[in-house]
Amino acid sequence: MTRGKLMTTARAWLDGTLRAICVALFALLVGLVAWQVFTRLVLDQPSAWSEEAARHTFVWVSLIGIAIAVGEKADVIMDFLVERLPLGLQRIADVIAHLATLAFVLYVMVFGGVQQSMLAWGQQNPLLPLTQGQLYLALPISGVLLTIYLLIHIVSTFSSRYRGHVGVAEDLEAASL
Amino acid sequence: SCSAATGGDGEQPSTTFRVAFNQDIDHPQAQALVQLSDELEARTDGRLALELYTDETLGDQAATIEQVQSGTIDFAIVAGSLLENFETDFSVVNLPYLYESPEHQMSVLNDREIVGELYDTVLDDNIQMLTAYHGGVRNVYSSVGPVETPADLAGQKIRVIGSDTNVRMMELMGGVGTPMAQGEVYTAIQSGVLDGAENNELIYSTLSHDEIAPFYSRTEHLMMPDYLIASPAVWDGLAEEDRAVFEELLTASVDTELELFSTAVDEQTAAAEEAGAEFNDADVDAFREAVLPLHEERLTSELTQSIYDAIEAARG
Amino acid sequence: MIDPGTISAILVGGLVLLLAVGAPVSISIGLPSALCMLLIVDFDRGAITAAQQMIGGADSFALLAIPFFILAGVIMNNGGIAERLINLARVLVGRTPAPLVQTNVIANAIFGTVSGSAVASAAAIGSTMSPMQRKAGYDRAFSAAANVASAPAGMLIPPSNTLIVYSLAAGGTSVGALFIAGYIPGILWALACAAVVFVYARRHPELKGEPWPKLSVLLTTLWRAVPSLGLIIVAIGGIVVGFFTPTEGSAVAVIYALLLSFLYRTIKVQDLPRILYDACRTSAIVIFLIAVSTIMAYVMTYARLPQLIAESLFGWTDSKVVVLLIMMLVLLLIGIPLDPTPAILIFTPIFLPIAVSYGIDPVHFGIMMVFNLSIAVISPPSAPVLFVGAQVAKVRLEAVIAKLVPFLIVLIVLLFIVVFVPQLSLWLPGLMGLL
Ligand code: NA
Ligand code: NA
Repeated sequence: MTRGKLMTTARAWLDGTLRAICVALFALLVGLVAWQVFTRLVLDQPSAWSEEAARHTFVWVSLIGIAIAVGEKADVIMDFLVERLPLGLQRIADVIAHLATLAFVLYVMVFGGVQQSMLAWGQQNPLLPLTQGQLYLALPISGVLLTIYLLIHIVSTFSSRYRGHVGVAEDLEAASL
Repeated sequence: SCSAATGGDGEQPSTTFRVAFNQDIDHPQAQALVQLSDELEARTDGRLALELYTDETLGDQAATIEQVQSGTIDFAIVAGSLLENFETDFSVVNLPYLYESPEHQMSVLNDREIVGELYDTVLDDNIQMLTAYHGGVRNVYSSVGPVETPADLAGQKIRVIGSDTNVRMMELMGGVGTPMAQGEVYTAIQSGVLDGAENNELIYSTLSHDEIAPFYSRTEHLMMPDYLIASPAVWDGLAEEDRAVFEELLTASVDTELELFSTAVDEQTAAAEEAGAEFNDADVDAFREAVLPLHEERLTSELTQSIYDAIEAARG
Repeated sequence: MIDPGTISAILVGGLVLLLAVGAPVSISIGLPSALCMLLIVDFDRGAITAAQQMIGGADSFALLAIPFFILAGVIMNNGGIAERLINLARVLVGRTPAPLVQTNVIANAIFGTVSGSAVASAAAIGSTMSPMQRKAGYDRAFSAAANVASAPAGMLIPPSNTLIVYSLAAGGTSVGALFIAGYIPGILWALACAAVVFVYARRHPELKGEPWPKLSVLLTTLWRAVPSLGLIIVAIGGIVVGFFTPTEGSAVAVIYALLLSFLYRTIKVQDLPRILYDACRTSAIVIFLIAVSTIMAYVMTYARLPQLIAESLFGWTDSKVVVLLIMMLVLLLIGIPLDPTPAILIFTPIFLPIAVSYGIDPVHFGIMMVFNLSIAVISPPSAPVLFVGAQVAKVRLEAVIAKLVPFLIVLIVLLFIVVFVPQLSLWLPGLMGLL
């Protein structure tokens, strides 16, 4: 297998795994809130832990989700200025934008996230069998995933196949739904 | 940890400590600290003062504890229940029907002979316990009708703080304890998702819950203390004489706060009555009897047992 | 600790520069905020606190309604439930110009009223309506703009969590009075959006209304829509009668839509991962923005920026009109990067005492504040509602912003009316003896 092919395979594997995690967590989320309604309305024994569990699941699904979104370049940008630039300058703008994102991700999500997790590692959650620190791991994990995707984007900016920002009029993605 | 600038006379640096608080500036605890800050400034020739960040603008109480731990802010006032997450033994001082009066509560919780060992357990977590403040007496309020006995709560969904202890407490009291975020409670009672909630008169009135659950019944089931906590680095970094002054003022502030709280309860009770609320007494003995099994369930360590015994012994 | 002027310069300058090079909007807010954190605290604590604020910003049960309503919308579209509902709307309001956009506006007002969340509303209604609008050949950017503009109406029409937050920050102003006071301004909001759509549609012949259908068509359409109407009855009705909270109702809507789609055999189990994934990605983008904005709110609070702005702005004038105008301008500008909740918590204690000293009723002030912040939540560049609206309609943000301008102008004019005609807010609660 060539290196390029290996990279593509690894990327596909990462994408697939993260999608699967997101889907599973999202399904769990629906289940948790439904369970909360069920225990209160039907069993008359409101569950104390389900709201807490739902909020944390939600944080995880959002943070894993943003990693995939950035991986797919789906995060919201306004490139009406950049797309008017010549290709060379677009390349520079893209690298700056990716580096800015990387700086935020590494400083706040990875560095800050790890430290915050460690700080709260022993802090019990009142309702779940996990510590706050374990729950906070979502942030650095998302940060590492974002770093991977951002590095891929930065490398591809320098590739000969770089096409720059194409001024797609409207259809961001051909109506996938 | 704090903003340092050159003091008025240009000799010693002045320090303003950041204090996080989750309610408004008119709250008795905030007012007690404002007063304390003025006195601290006067006694230290303007070198030390407090600056309050009210209304939860630095994050919820759990977040402000973490900021104290990391040293981003210097002090915070936090609910006693949150400290259980750091050391489970703190649950003993949050048990229902433990104190016979706010004065009893304050005397035992600020007596280091009784609680010193407990308070020291969170030093490892980078939390310095400074003072316990009275946080009100929690009573049940309902949209259905006045609650006098445990039987009156049968089938009523009452919002409680999200913990197993509080759900269990409400179960023993006869109702169905339903944890819910405070921000959702008003509409939940209004639409009937909840029948009521339990809290002190100040929260009841300022959150306008008197408008949708007009029956406030004095079950007097919980007196949950609030604590002023500090970053140990900040506290230890104070000069010895400054710390002595600070400690003296903190001790005095407990009584100030208790007085302010009592006045505020009267004011907010009047305001709630004006808004149409009806206050009634409940059969406190019956509720206390019903809830007592919880005490035995939760006294799981030697430390909690000894604190519990000391609190019992201090009853008037 | 650096001075507030430098902080403001970093926040504003950073935002503009990063947006210009095409960085994500969230990062354009987040990176300058993180830099300020680093400068006002220190390297380590700045990072920890920024991280903590991010988690805290996302960790809210109320925000959960956003992914659920997006999901319900996606399922309804895939499952043909939406189509039946919209066909019904078409035969009912089909004669007005741009019927599918007008339906969108009305649906937002109703839905937002119940959910109380502009983002959830734009997500749920937008993802339901936009495929139909697209199919009918409407200008997508315009449809999305109308969806975005009308989404906040429910923040004013009760019940409204935003007004509850204000009541709390204002030291216990009656929630009941605020709720009633919000009705007229909230309905005016929806009408203003409908009026803009009407004027726009008149100039675009392709958006003209459809003739009245035959009675038989009307009845068939109604009959076919009954199970879909059940979704509204179950989810919204369940919230109104108190079976569940709006957040829980959103999960119930998901389950109902799913069951119905299985019944119609329009969705297969193997489609579910794709549907869940799509909803997940859209909501993640919005939640990330909200989480990151929390860092900015923290920086501003920590540095006491709002107080300093207030001091420097109100010092030189005694005119009530000028003071009110300044307040509205500050709220509008600062409300754009901030979520309404932190904005209200930060500014109410500063502005309300000043307003009261000029004889303004706290209930009226609350309504003008929420009205103002409702405009901010749809104002570019960093509004979550705008993000959601563009995402679910699959249109570029810039295109939506361009079409949003007339809505914003009309809403700002309406804001002035709400500010300077207190009767709009106070008449109803006064009538009911709530003041
Ligand atoms: Na509403
Ligand atoms: Na905003």
